[in-house]
Amino acid sequence: MFKESPFRSNLHASSAKIKASRLADVILCGLLAVLIFWPARLTAQEKKEPSASASEPPNGGAIDESLRSIYPNLPPDQDPAAVARGKGLYGANCTFCHGKEATGGNSGPDLLRSVLVNHDEKGELIGPVIRQGRTSKGMPGFNLGDNQISDLVAFLHQRNRDARLRFTYKVSSVAIGDPIAGKAYFESHCASCHAANNDLAGIASKYQHDELQQRWLDPAGQSADVIVTITLSGQKYTGKLKHLDEFSVSLYDSQGNYRSLTLNSKVKVEIQDPLASHRSLLEQLSDTDMHDVTTFLETLK
Amino acid sequence: MRTLLLLLFAVLSSPSATAQNLDPRDLLNPLGSSWPTYNGDYSGRRFSQLSQITAANVRNLGLVWTLDSGNDPIKATPLVVDGVIYISVPDKAWALDARTGRLIWHWENKSRGGTHIGHRGMAMYGKWLFLVTPDDYLVSLDAATGKERWRTEIADLKLDYFSTVAPVVIRDHVLVSPSIESTDNRGYLDAYEPETGKLQWRWYSTPNVGEPGAETWPNSEARSHGGGAVWIPGTYDPELNLFYFGTANPQPVMAGQGRPGDNLWTDSIIALNPDSGKMKWFYQTTPHDTHDWDSAETPVLFDAELDGRKRRLLAQANRNGYFFVLDRTTGEHILTTAFAPNNWAKGLDAQGRPIRDPNKDPQPGGALVIPSEEGATNWFPPSLDPKTGFFYVRVTRSVAVYYLTDVSSKPEAWGGVDKTVLRGPSSIAAIDCKTGKVVWDHPTGVGAVSGLLTTAGQLVFAGDGSGNALALDPVTGRTIWHVNLNQNMFNGPVTYELDHRQYLLLAAGGKLFAFALPEP
Repeated sequence: MFKESPFRSNLHASSAKIKASRLADVILCGLLAVLIFWPARLTAQEKKEPSASASEPPNGGAIDESLRSIYPNLPPDQDPAAVARGKGLYGANCTFCHGKEATGGNSGPDLLRSVLVNHDEKGELIGPVIRQGRTSKGMPGFNLGDNQISDLVAFLHQRNRDARLRFTYKVSSVAIGDPIAGKAYFESHCASCHAANNDLAGIASKYQHDELQQRWLDPAGQSADVIVTITLSGQKYTGKLKHLDEFSVSLYDSQGNYRSLTLNSKVKVEIQDPLASHRSLLEQLSDTDMHDVTTFLETLK
Repeated sequence: MRTLLLLLFAVLSSPSATAQNLDPRDLLNPLGSSWPTYNGDYSGRRFSQLSQITAANVRNLGLVWTLDSGNDPIKATPLVVDGVIYISVPDKAWALDARTGRLIWHWENKSRGGTHIGHRGMAMYGKWLFLVTPDDYLVSLDAATGKERWRTEIADLKLDYFSTVAPVVIRDHVLVSPSIESTDNRGYLDAYEPETGKLQWRWYSTPNVGEPGAETWPNSEARSHGGGAVWIPGTYDPELNLFYFGTANPQPVMAGQGRPGDNLWTDSIIALNPDSGKMKWFYQTTPHDTHDWDSAETPVLFDAELDGRKRRLLAQANRNGYFFVLDRTTGEHILTTAFAPNNWAKGLDAQGRPIRDPNKDPQPGGALVIPSEEGATNWFPPSLDPKTGFFYVRVTRSVAVYYLTDVSSKPEAWGGVDKTVLRGPSSIAAIDCKTGKVVWDHPTGVGAVSGLLTTAGQLVFAGDGSGNALALDPVTGRTIWHVNLNQNMFNGPVTYELDHRQYLLLAAGGKLFAFALPEP
């Protein structure tokens, strides 16, 4: 239904339908402005707090603490040295049956989904199984020392934790397109505001891989002032937009004074949004274009 | 005689003399002065018969009381029974006087963990309340005192199941189900005995070996860890004796290569007999989902005449961007329309199911997909006004790049990530149930997530993304009233009547607000 140009057609539909309301003059601008402000305000969308909040880590060193307040059942971070030793032990002793990634193999079950592994805290359940085996299921016992068992347990719990935390997932290369086609796309769509040898020089040294792709698709993280012009009874106020909703607008004028107005049919609001073209690009961008442009930008070291 | 008069006076003047009580048979009545279940009544319409507050007088609404419950946003829909409000957030519940907002009792769970992301609310049976905790207990409280009667474990917390759903009571069944975050678990729905907490039956969201549907999974390992959690309370048709609910996405969430096939009954609408736990029919809305587009959204029941025939129908606005109408007796498909932008489907198949474009599955270098995993809508309760015949739904618009990060043949958990590149504007859309067409679409800014309420006073109540509560005209979508509550609404607004006065009860952030017209 909205496939051709999803956002544009929908915005038009919305504005047409609401013509009768007090909003007629401002609704389109309002939507665009609202697009920019409150980017990260949406909290907890439920079940899995999706996208921005869930696929990106909380800030700084308080990672574990802040995660644990939402996900108290997350296995704790293990000692990296123990995990590395455990990985070696796992590779030598367990891979053949339980698979390289501990996700199950020809004869052994998936250890990330295992009820026993998930119920284990510090080897009290896993240890006896490793030592005694499960002969009825074809698993022999392993003659490993306490430290070795504890390293294996650390490896398994870290694997489990990493699998649950998707923001630790590593994106593989995003430079999979054609840099020449990407350059051509850049020149026809981006060059009116950006230049490879000017503002974007060295961009690929600054941002790597998926972060580079994310940055150019969604530069909203950078502060770009949205300029609003309000006209009321012939008088114009222009300045940096602070807030706009269905009922009011506020701005800082060139002297830094704060002004707000209640919206009605007499108030006209115009928005100049420097990122509008980035957003409209998302409506038309194909996956091929996206890969090509990213691959071209990756050359700007 | 004097004693009798005194007694009569005592009964009349003291509402608390009648203990709060809810006979399950009362739930068969249309929604009137109380709000006794998550959706108000079994239909899921969230349409109240109350009509004291109208388009003509809604501007005169005034604040009667407000209450700050703390920092947790209230996402639960309150219950209102016999003048008492029961409201919850994860691990906490309160009973409040519906006239004054004053606290009657407070209950708190000593938690042993579990994902604390939201709480949908409670259910009532007789004098007992039921709620789930993030650490996977179904708890029964005495509604009069808030004292715990019993608790029973409904899921294995160590496997990372957690619980948010509001229980649904049908006769002597308490229906509940745990949620799944990331681990590869199997979803299910349980029925418990209200007096004792004893398990009556369990229905799994993926088939057992040999059952029809098992062939949509490559092997028993994938099938028995295939997800499909049931995390939104369902609806019920007493005459057909069928309980309707949606199932969530398959596991692993974004890496589908380890589970080729449609992955039944994930992302499906299910009709099930609440006495036996046996499924009568299913309809899958997103075959082989790789974008986390749960089909958990409320299936709303309504009746309408189609081609000269009166039909019992069910409508759902789905997270994947499509609106579905089904015959709720048989599951027969009636219509599918897109109510929000999407770029992931190539069209519809003969059963009206969207046909997935495999190019829009998560890719190692990224695939640009509309919508993001937040979906075109989400858990926010929709509403259906039988007078307009419109289905009202919260719409969100977004674009994300979906990356496949686990390219192995046996991926785990998420197996991929999506990174939002556009968190666009939200709106409230009115969809004509007979045609599936969007009749109006009222923009509400970024970040609006509230549920919706319609009333016989011809109003739609909702929130926007700037902390405003709104009353809209159900026919045109025009704003008739608003008030800035300073925080966004999360839950579905409700309405109730006490002493011939209609109240509107909203929650914004962690605060409750009760509005009413001035006393005459």
